[in-house]
Amino acid sequence: MTILLFVIALFGFGIGALFLGGLLAGVDRIITARLQGRVGPPLLQPFYDVGKLLAKEDRWLNGFESFYIFLALIIVILSGAFFFSGGNLLMVVFLIGLASLLFIVAAYCTRSPFAEIGAQREIIQVMSYEPMIILMAVFYYSASGSFDVAATVGLDLPLLTQIPLIFIGLLFVLTTKLRKSPFDLSFSHHAHQELVKGVTTEMSGKTLALVEIMHWYESVLFLGYVALFFVWGSLWAVLVALVAVALVYFLEIIIDNSFARVKWQAMLSWSWLVTLLVVSVSVVVAVITNTGLL
Amino acid sequence: MLPIVFLILVPLAAALLLALVRDERFRSVVVIAAAVALMFAAGYLATTGLFSPTQFFKVNAEAINYILLVMDLICCGYIVYRGVRHKHSLSVFLAGVQAALLVLFELVVAQDVHTISDIYVDQLSLIMALIIAFIGGGICIYALGYMRDAQSHQKRHVLSHIHGGDPARVAEAAVLGTDRRHLFFAIMFVFLAAMFMIIFSNNLGWLLAGWELTTVCSFILIGYTRTDEATANSFKAVSINLAGGLAFCTALILLASGENPILELDKLIVAGAGGSVVLPIALLAFAGLTKAAQMPFQSWLLGAMVAPTPVSALLHSSTMVKAGVFLLIKLAPTFGWGINGVFVVLVGALTFLYCSAVAISQSNAKRVLAYSTVANLGLIACLAGVGTPEAVWAAIFILIFHAAAKALLFCCVGTAEHRLHSRDIEDMDNLFVRMPRLAMLMALGMIAMFIIPFGMLVSKWAALVSVVDSGHFELLIVLGFGSAMTFVFWAKWLGKVLAIASNQSSLEQSIHKSERFGLGFLAVLLVVTSALLPLISAYVVVPYLSGITQLLPSGYTGVWADVSPQLSMDNLLIMAIVLIALVAVLAIRLPRLAKQGNDSVYLSGVGQDSDERSFTNAFSQTSLASQRNWYMEQIFGEKVLEFRSNLLASVVLGAFLVLALIVEANVL
Repeated sequence: MTILLFVIALFGFGIGALFLGGLLAGVDRIITARLQGRVGPPLLQPFYDVGKLLAKEDRWLNGFESFYIFLALIIVILSGAFFFSGGNLLMVVFLIGLASLLFIVAAYCTRSPFAEIGAQREIIQVMSYEPMIILMAVFYYSASGSFDVAATVGLDLPLLTQIPLIFIGLLFVLTTKLRKSPFDLSFSHHAHQELVKGVTTEMSGKTLALVEIMHWYESVLFLGYVALFFVWGSLWAVLVALVAVALVYFLEIIIDNSFARVKWQAMLSWSWLVTLLVVSVSVVVAVITNTGLL
Repeated sequence: MLPIVFLILVPLAAALLLALVRDERFRSVVVIAAAVALMFAAGYLATTGLFSPTQFFKVNAEAINYILLVMDLICCGYIVYRGVRHKHSLSVFLAGVQAALLVLFELVVAQDVHTISDIYVDQLSLIMALIIAFIGGGICIYALGYMRDAQSHQKRHVLSHIHGGDPARVAEAAVLGTDRRHLFFAIMFVFLAAMFMIIFSNNLGWLLAGWELTTVCSFILIGYTRTDEATANSFKAVSINLAGGLAFCTALILLASGENPILELDKLIVAGAGGSVVLPIALLAFAGLTKAAQMPFQSWLLGAMVAPTPVSALLHSSTMVKAGVFLLIKLAPTFGWGINGVFVVLVGALTFLYCSAVAISQSNAKRVLAYSTVANLGLIACLAGVGTPEAVWAAIFILIFHAAAKALLFCCVGTAEHRLHSRDIEDMDNLFVRMPRLAMLMALGMIAMFIIPFGMLVSKWAALVSVVDSGHFELLIVLGFGSAMTFVFWAKWLGKVLAIASNQSSLEQSIHKSERFGLGFLAVLLVVTSALLPLISAYVVVPYLSGITQLLPSGYTGVWADVSPQLSMDNLLIMAIVLIALVAVLAIRLPRLAKQGNDSVYLSGVGQDSDERSFTNAFSQTSLASQRNWYMEQIFGEKVLEFRSNLLASVVLGAFLVLALIVEANVL
């Protein structure tokens, strides 16, 4: 049963998230354009771009970078399937960590000085958001009684009502995870603030197309983290979660367009400060309720 | 019983042979034969004992107590002798007090206390035995090739000294240049014997004897090269470990002179779980923390890396520090929310956070490894302090995987150092091209330390769960931030090692056969133990935890009353499958991927050579692009963090020992 569910989720996520992620990117570009007073490209432009990248002639420095990226993509799809088949949240978080590592190694193996700087920044990005993401998973566990994503369906009230601060923490680091300015240090869609092309400096053609597709999958998965907070045992949950995710994504686009990239020191200290703040308050609350003081 | 005696006596016999005969071929034969014998004996013991309940044995030989006392006194005497020669008064003092306490304990206090069982075998001691025999044995074999290189390096170094003509330096060079490898290997095997004594002794007096023996062995091995730095660091190590030994000794005297004298480990655990013997357990925990190089005592292990690399590999993976955390894990049922539990949790948590942070700022590969070891030991201590069966489950697995991965990593760094003449991570750029196999093994060791399908991270996952379940919410923050920082220092090192420039020639051929064998053996061990995690959990670790429940008196209702594994078998199996798939894909694909590029690196100018990263700049001159890893010293540097963290740890340590004293006084 669970294996069947996983296989269905694998195909569902593999195909569904590909289209959904591409569409999200298209929506992002249109809204961004409107915010800047432009009309913007057609909705399907991201697909055209990736199609064109896939058709390009192969250029490579060594055979490794495309291999690492390919492996990272597979792992992102796997973890998405685990997530949407109701699997273990912490395992998903850790698997995404493996994908990030492969992405970093892909940048290093080219020995481009620009890609290496991008890789250093990607490492610092991981360091800034990882505590919040791990702790989100743990608080999810202590609030819902299980690490399994499927447990949300059995809740009487959405998690947001139980651990609202953790949701705020997630929102803060989500900007980094979705590669939005001001925290898009390792590589970004905004050419004006980029150091060559960051992590992807030496990636082109098919490899770059895979990076783009991986980003789509990741966006859908991370918005799934957001949806976790809005799901409970009611059919209304679907609607509420969809609206919440749409609003969050819109908010991220606004943030993306309103802030210039910051230095890594700022990203690290702000992310950690927010994480420390929301988690400590949540811990105090948890300890108080645990010991029955409230 | 016989295999245990075999495990203790074989390394001692091997040590004797190695010390007496200096012939190199003979040495190789003895080392390999002894290592293989240990592996077989440990394996045999495991097949017979791993799946059966704890067995206790009584040894009817009072003489052993006296033999061990004499051995302890010889050890103390040796430290006093070396201390006097090198004018290190602290170690002389500590060794003197130690000797006096040992005599007091053995001949006065414990004279009338009789033990029911002196030796025991349970699943944890068998796990330790396998680690010591296989990883320790593997390291000894690896050391054969390594020490040959080290000796020739030293000889060259000495010759350059003699060319100066200064008589004082010539004399010094003569001392440094003598071939003392026979003693080196002898002490390595004594070390293993001492470890076997520690893990099988139920008699606390015997446990202490093994404990002291590891202190002396580490003292000799750290000072092996006889340089000034090595001597200074060996005295630092011995002073700290003697302080721990004093605490251990004092604890035993208190235990043996109480109303209900206790001289056995199992009785101590039962009494401790019942809430008595607070001060002795605090002292034993202190001893464990010093041996495990926890803050503020981490400096001895960091200094220990002046020793030849196999010594570091041995100290960090299967001996010494592992004895410290072994004791803490043994005592775990007595911890929990009591004074001692909170004490160990705080010190461990502080150590884990501080060392993970400082490791980011280190570019010396061995220092990164050392800080990572101390951090992981901190995590193990922390989990032992939490003291629930789930936390101990995680602690045992971290111990296993840390031992396997660290042994491999140290040996890889040692081999790389002899070829690159540097242990700096920046000099390991392109290692994947220069020594592809070595780089892959090194990469394996690194990802096994912090990436998911490997056992280490699965254990950390279990640690997170156990911490929430036991109500230690504050530790969540420690684990979250600590793990994030762990990612940083491994990822950037891994990146350097896996970078590729095709103009480098291969250095791999110069690696000795024994070194290659040792490295491959350790790597296989690492992957196999990781893949077998679900089985080890179900058939070894969970039965060990249930065994403790049976040990406790029937009225006991604490957390140990009910033991159940917390990570579902499903998830463990998924991890094992992902692991096998990942290792297979990497092992098959990586060596075949290298192909000549058809493009060159972008360098903001007219590129000349991608591999050199040279380009023509705006003035038509040649420039070289270079990129170092970021070490972020202004945030994570030792200078920024060390003093304050050590101060904090010292305050915690002092406060809790005083607290334990007060509680004990009230109880009395």
